Amino acid sequence: MKDRAQRNRELLHFIALPAILLTAGLLGGLRIDGQTKQFIFIAPPLVTLLMAILLGALFVRAGTIDLHRWLSIEQPMLTNVSHLLTLAALFFASAQAFNSVLPESGLLHWMFSFFFLWTLWTNQFSTFDPRRLLRSLVILFGTAFVLKHLFVSALYAPEGGWLKTIASTLLKGISIDVPAFAPITGYISFFALALYVAGLLLIAPVPVQPGDSEANKLVVRDDALSEASDR
Amino acid sequence: MQSRFIQIAGIISTVVYAGIIVWIYATEPRSFREVATNSQVAAGVYEINQEKFNNGLALFRRDQFRAARDEWTAADPAQRDPRTQFYISYAYYREGWGRVYYDNALFKQGLEAVNRSISLAPNGVLVVDDPNLQMHSAAELKAELEQGTETSWKDLNPVKLFRQRK
Repeated sequence: MKDRAQRNRELLHFIALPAILLTAGLLGGLRIDGQTKQFIFIAPPLVTLLMAILLGALFVRAGTIDLHRWLSIEQPMLTNVSHLLTLAALFFASAQAFNSVLPESGLLHWMFSFFFLWTLWTNQFSTFDPRRLLRSLVILFGTAFVLKHLFVSALYAPEGGWLKTIASTLLKGISIDVPAFAPITGYISFFALALYVAGLLLIAPVPVQPGDSEANKLVVRDDALSEASDR
Repeated sequence: MQSRFIQIAGIISTVVYAGIIVWIYATEPRSFREVATNSQVAAGVYEINQEKFNNGLALFRRDQFRAARDEWTAADPAQRDPRTQFYISYAYYREGWGRVYYDNALFKQGLEAVNRSISLAPNGVLVVDDPNLQMHSAAELKAELEQGTETSWKDLNPVKLFRQRK
């Protein structure tokens, strides 16, 4: 029974987690053209890489990832390689999650980028624990998703509407370039973000140690003791 | 032992999946059909649709150049066959050719297709042995298309009204 639990934990950590993060990364840059219904793959812009670095720093600071346990000279080479790949997948998924909720071009792209960067930068100086950070990220991505895929896309929908009338009156003379994507793009983005959050939930601060379930218990106990001594 | 196996499987699956994602973003397929075509190209098993190619050739010989191009585009969706690209270019040339002036837009598209054809041909040399054509090599066709897109004083020569389409 214990062996089975350990095996499932390893399958989840070494195979499912990177696959979930990479799928989030794949879908994060996918859009569907509004007219031709063709795929458009948008590679992560440079600004999203910067955001992913800031978010990575935040993960380490908040203790979502204990970098010393993920990559350590004492661990077997295979484990380190596996963890490095998972962290690379996390970085790519983070960049693509931002890419998914950022408007593609124009004034709105830079406004959203500025607000993301500002939030991530100010968070570097806040006190976080992993749970609070996750909640904060869900709210951040959720707000950006609603703004981009519900509000902005409704404003610039080809069929128009009262929101479009108000916006065109308020923003008269200001050119906001919003590409027209099919409504399914919003669903793809939602799915990508859901996968990304699921991946974050699966990430343990101290990674699964392969082979020995007793060793995992010891690692957790060691953590608990060091936390207690910190207090 | 089992843990080691899971780790190795995880590393391999992650690297392969990441490679597929990079490949998708590099080739930017526009539909699932294009994903399949690009996979065939990557695997080296890509072949043109010969039936559509022959349909295109029949239309080309009846001077229905646009329809011929459509057939050839469908026959070679990945634009990987030098011979098909040569014929597409030739169709642009024949449609764009005029006794008084050449259609610049069509000639430019023809030039793009013939450049593709040359880059795909082994050593950049392509000769098509078709008795219905007057230009058999891609280099010859390219020179003709380039000449057509350039403007010079020779364009004012009235003798050019007697020139023949190749």
